[in-house]
Amino acid sequence: MDTQRDVDYGSSVATRTDDPWVTIVWNDPVNLMNYVTHVFQVHFGFTLEVATKHMREVHENGRSVLSTGPRETMEADVQAMHSYGLWATLQRSGE
Amino acid sequence: MKQFRMVGADAVAELDDEERLVVARIVADVALLLGADAFGEGYDDPAPERDDVDSLFEYLRGFEESIREPSDPAILRLLPNAAPTDREVANEFRRFTDGELRATKTKRLRRIWDQLSSDVTSRNSDEWIVPADELLATAAALTDIRLVLASRLELVSDDDADQLHLEIDLATQALESDDENAVPVDHERVWLGMLYQALTWLQGSLVDCMAGTSEETDV
Repeated sequence: MDTQRDVDYGSSVATRTDDPWVTIVWNDPVNLMNYVTHVFQVHFGFTLEVATKHMREVHENGRSVLSTGPRETMEADVQAMHSYGLWATLQRSGE
Repeated sequence: MKQFRMVGADAVAELDDEERLVVARIVADVALLLGADAFGEGYDDPAPERDDVDSLFEYLRGFEESIREPSDPAILRLLPNAAPTDREVANEFRRFTDGELRATKTKRLRRIWDQLSSDVTSRNSDEWIVPADELLATAAALTDIRLVLASRLELVSDDDADQLHLEIDLATQALESDDENAVPVDHERVWLGMLYQALTWLQGSLVDCMAGTSEETDV
């Protein structure tokens, strides 16, 4: 939990034009569904319902956009996901 | 091996001496992959005399290596590329996060290693006790270990993981039946696969413990 930040921006992940970067979490065959859901809840402050929705997107669609915002914030999110063993990337929004 | 269950505020699993040894060994192996010093060695020995220039070169070499993408696919899975379509972003991310991520992961592995290698006389059972505030860190370390095993087992897709279960079932049957016509068994792969399955089962139960307590611990 060293990497957990106290910023709570997690309730909305809709892409806005002033949020130029996105954090994406990708599917992998290793991570357990309950673990991924729990990590999303802890790091992004999601409710169980929202965290489960993102976990299902990852599992069924291969990827899910977890957060949007400035590059530095997305780098912190990606670093946190990597510390939990999830495969996350950042990119410019709309790429 | 018994899976994790909540006992008071702690999650408690049970591993016999042999299981402890196997898990502690893979914990130490993954830490080595991350560049940590060998666990369980050199506690009593003073560090060997070193030339300052040698240390400096070693430090610089480490820095150079840490900013390059790892060539071992297992390490790459622990420290993945953060921006596959933008090399500059990926390199910068690695430069700024690599050391901290390696340190975080190694620290978690070290903690498990200490718990599992504690002197037999200082514990009176097979219990592996994980305190409430270490559940997520322990689950994360188990993920890292499973990522390395999965990489060695070449599990790339969800189908590969399903196939592994089938493969192990067949191998188990073949070994039990002693059938000469049975498919040949790759013992090392089956052994790694069974370890992977056992850790998956153990981690799943630990996460169930966390989910059950999350209302109290997660605000």
